[in-house]
Amino acid sequence: MPKVPLQIFRYKAGEPSRYDTCTVDIPDSAHVIDAIDAAWAVHDPSLTFRRACHHSSCGSCAIRINGVEKLPCVTKLSDVWDGRTPLRLDPLRNFPVVSDLVVDISSFFQRMSAADMAITCEAEAFLPFTVDSFAVAALERKAVELPEDFSRFNRFEQCIECGICMSACPTMAADDRFLGPAGLAAIYQARHKTDDPKKVEHLLGLADGEHGVWRCHSAFECTEACPQAVDPAGKIMALRRELIARRFSKMWGK
Amino acid sequence: MAILDSRRVSRAGRWVDVRHRRLGMWAYALNRITGIGLVVYLYLHLCILSLLTRGQSAWDSFVSLARSPFYLALDVILLAGILIHGLNGLRIALTGCGIGAGAQKAIFTMLMIVSAIALAVAALKIFHI
Repeated sequence: MPKVPLQIFRYKAGEPSRYDTCTVDIPDSAHVIDAIDAAWAVHDPSLTFRRACHHSSCGSCAIRINGVEKLPCVTKLSDVWDGRTPLRLDPLRNFPVVSDLVVDISSFFQRMSAADMAITCEAEAFLPFTVDSFAVAALERKAVELPEDFSRFNRFEQCIECGICMSACPTMAADDRFLGPAGLAAIYQARHKTDDPKKVEHLLGLADGEHGVWRCHSAFECTEACPQAVDPAGKIMALRRELIARRFSKMWGK
Repeated sequence: MAILDSRRVSRAGRWVDVRHRRLGMWAYALNRITGIGLVVYLYLHLCILSLLTRGQSAWDSFVSLARSPFYLALDVILLAGILIHGLNGLRIALTGCGIGAGAQKAIFTMLMIVSAIALAVAALKIFHI
C-alpha cells in the first residue's frame, strides 16, 4: 500500500490560512476522498470537508486537486498523483472559505433561484408536502396525489450543483455579481421550459444584463471542468445567439 | 477597508493565473494581456505623434531611432499583440454567435497557427526593409 503525501489547505475563522502536510496509507485504486478521510481519521479530526454520496451525485465534496476542480469521490488517486509530489488539496475558488476545504456556495443557489430553477432531481419529486407526510400517507395506506404539472419539477439536465463551474470561471474572479456559468445555464434551461412571453422577457432580460452573458469571455473553463457534462459555456453561447437574433429582429421591425 | 481592497485586487488578478488550466483559459488570459498592451500602445502612439508639434527635427530624430533593431523588435511584438487579439476576438465573436462553440479549441489552435505564420512573414519583412 503506497504512502501518499498530502498538502491540505487549512483555514479556521480568525486564523491565517496555511498548508498542512501529512502522509496516508491507502491503496492506489482508492479515490481522493479516501485519502482525505484517512487524513481526517488518522492525522487531524479537526480537518473540515464535505462528502455525502461517494458517487458523483450530490456534488458536495467538490474541491481543487492539484489546482484543478474535481469531485474527489470519483477521482482515482492513480489519475492525479504522480507517485512522488504531495497531492495538493484546496477549496473551490470564487466562494468564501468557511473552514479548511469547505466553502459557502450559497451564491451558487442564489443564482439558480434568480433563474427560477427548482433544485430538485428527477428521482426526487418536488411535492407540496414533506417526507414525513409521505410516511404518514404510506402508513394510512392513502394514495398520494401528485400535482398536475408534476413533470415540470425536474432538475436541470445533469447539474449536481457542485459549484465547480463557478470556481473554474475566470470571470467570476473579476466580477462578484456575474451570474456565472451555473446561473446562465439555469436561465437557458428555464427559458426553454416556458413559452410565457412575460417569463421569457424576464429571463432574457437577466441574461442580457450588465452581469449576464456578455460578461463571459469565452474561456470555456466551466464546460471543461463540469463533472456532469452540463456544458454551461454552450448554454451561454446559445443565449447570446438568441439575444443577437432578437436584436436583429427588432432592428428589422419584426 | 484596505484589507478588503487588497483582497479584491488579488481576486481580480486571478484571471492571469493559467496554472493547471486548459487552452480556453490561455486564450482568455492572452486576449486580456494583449488588449491591455494595445491600449497602452495607443497612448504611447499618441504621445509620440505629439512630437510633430515640436517641428521636423524632433520628428526626424525619432524616425531614425525607430529604425533601430530594438524598435523593430517592438514592432514585431506589437504585431503579435494585434494578431493574437484580433484573431482570438474572431473566435470569441464566432462562438458568441453560436458558431463553432463545440470546436472552440480547434478554432483557437488554427487561428494561432495563422498568427504565427503571419508574424514570421511580417518579422522577416520588418527586419529586411
